[in-house]
Amino acid sequence: MEHSDQTKVAILGAGRGGRALLDLLHQIPSIEIVGIADRDPAAPGLQRAHALHIPVTANVPDLIGNHGVQLIMDVTGNPEMEAYLKAHKPPTADILSGSASRLLWKLIQHESKLEAELLQAEKLAGIGSFAAGIAHDINNPLQLILGLAESLAEERDLAAVHEQALDIVEAVKRTSAICRDLTRYSRRASPHEDVSVSINAKLDEALKIARYASSFHDIEMLKQYQPGAAVKGNPDELLHVFVNLITNAVHAMEQAGGTLTLETRVLGGQVDIRISDTGCGIAPEKIPEIFEPFFTTKAPGKGTGLGLYNVNTIVSKMHGQITVESKVDQGSTFTLTFPHAQPNQEGCL
Amino acid sequence: MSDFKSGFFVGGEACNGRVLVVDDEPDIRKVVKMTLQKAGYDVLEAENGEKAIETINSGENRLMLDVMICDIRMPKVNGAEAIAYFRSNYPHVPLIVLTGFPDTDMATSFLRQGVVDYLVKPVEGEKLRSAVARAMEQRELARL
Ligand SMILES: Nc1ncnc2c1ncn2[C@@H]1O[C@H](COP(=O)(O)OP(=O)(O)O)[C@@H](O)[C@H]1O
Ligand SMILES: [Mg+2]
Repeated sequence: MEHSDQTKVAILGAGRGGRALLDLLHQIPSIEIVGIADRDPAAPGLQRAHALHIPVTANVPDLIGNHGVQLIMDVTGNPEMEAYLKAHKPPTADILSGSASRLLWKLIQHESKLEAELLQAEKLAGIGSFAAGIAHDINNPLQLILGLAESLAEERDLAAVHEQALDIVEAVKRTSAICRDLTRYSRRASPHEDVSVSINAKLDEALKIARYASSFHDIEMLKQYQPGAAVKGNPDELLHVFVNLITNAVHAMEQAGGTLTLETRVLGGQVDIRISDTGCGIAPEKIPEIFEPFFTTKAPGKGTGLGLYNVNTIVSKMHGQITVESKVDQGSTFTLTFPHAQPNQEGCL
Repeated sequence: MSDFKSGFFVGGEACNGRVLVVDDEPDIRKVVKMTLQKAGYDVLEAENGEKAIETINSGENRLMLDVMICDIRMPKVNGAEAIAYFRSNYPHVPLIVLTGFPDTDMATSFLRQGVVDYLVKPVEGEKLRSAVARAMEQRELARL
């Protein structure tokens, strides 16, 4: 990954600002982060750096002096550091510090806020299409409950009463599960720290949500899950990614039906998550466009064109990769690759 | 149970007529069946439009089926497709739509296609039975 035309950057300070910089800069191919320094070994940015295989040090003179650094980004907020850098930086290096680096930190925060807004907006726009699915899934158990209750009113056989009452309890539970799933999905992604998320459970949860959004008529489901597949990330965001990819797959098979395949695989420290359809496919020249914001081939109300854009944002934030293989009229496969995480006990977050 | 208008016998029991319930939810079929059996109807089940078409085309059903109750949102041949098929191939069988999703446009279009009733789940047993009774009357008229 090392190109000679990469700008070599050193980051000083591994607090929240340093960590946000890491997250942002490591996604930019023309930047090479040569290292990050902090006095505090427990600083949050240092853990992130380990995860990204970026060198960590406490030795500032070495970091700025010996690695051909071209840009020093000081987010320590420490005036002494600012003064030290002015006096000791290599002549070829530029410094970003003081108010300039504070401004940068503000911009990064602003951008991540906008990102979250966009995510939420897209999610809410999609929920409009849930009405039919929700009505179906709530009114069906209600029909059962009503029918059983009517019959109970006339039932004389105690055993039958008992059985029907239990059926009603089950139907009520199913109905309330629908509301729980949907509120969990529609709420704003909680900003909590990344946790280990069980992928197979998350895919199943997404499947339930996606069923509200689009009808799975004539769609056959195939699951090939490897037990224990887990990645580190925000569970709400990951759910959002899967709902989007599954919904797209189902939309692609709307005309003729087909097979939806969900596959997870752990291999060599990586998790592959594959979502395949046998639908309409994507023309090769369109593939670069599908991740652009507002690119959609769907009718208004059905597509926003923001789905894959948001998927891509989340996946790169999680240090993952996304690839697409597609053949017109044969189908598409979206593959996500993440570093494997240790499965968590309460994996289904 | 002596005053059935057109009572005939199926498996030794008095029968007010034969109804086919088409719904992908086994629970719905179960509860509709229970409700209608109480009123003396013989109830057949199908889990989707394809099965419904198979059912009506098999054996004696072709002649013996009186009324069909059909959901809209179903896998395989969905309700709307099944209804179109039944209207053109078995125009004498009255249709009742029983759906979880109230959609006025759809209701209008179905009623225009000659569907006798458009019921939204959850529907009370009494209402369902009277819709079926009305449909049975239509069936009688078609037989004359
Ligand atoms: N699985 C797929 N099969 C075929 N086309 C797809 C698939 N996924 C995405 N696309 C194409 O990419 C476009 C953008 O997708 P997306 O960003 O999710 O927005 P939307 O679904 O709202 O249109 C879609 O409109 C569609 O043309
Ligand atoms: Mg989409």
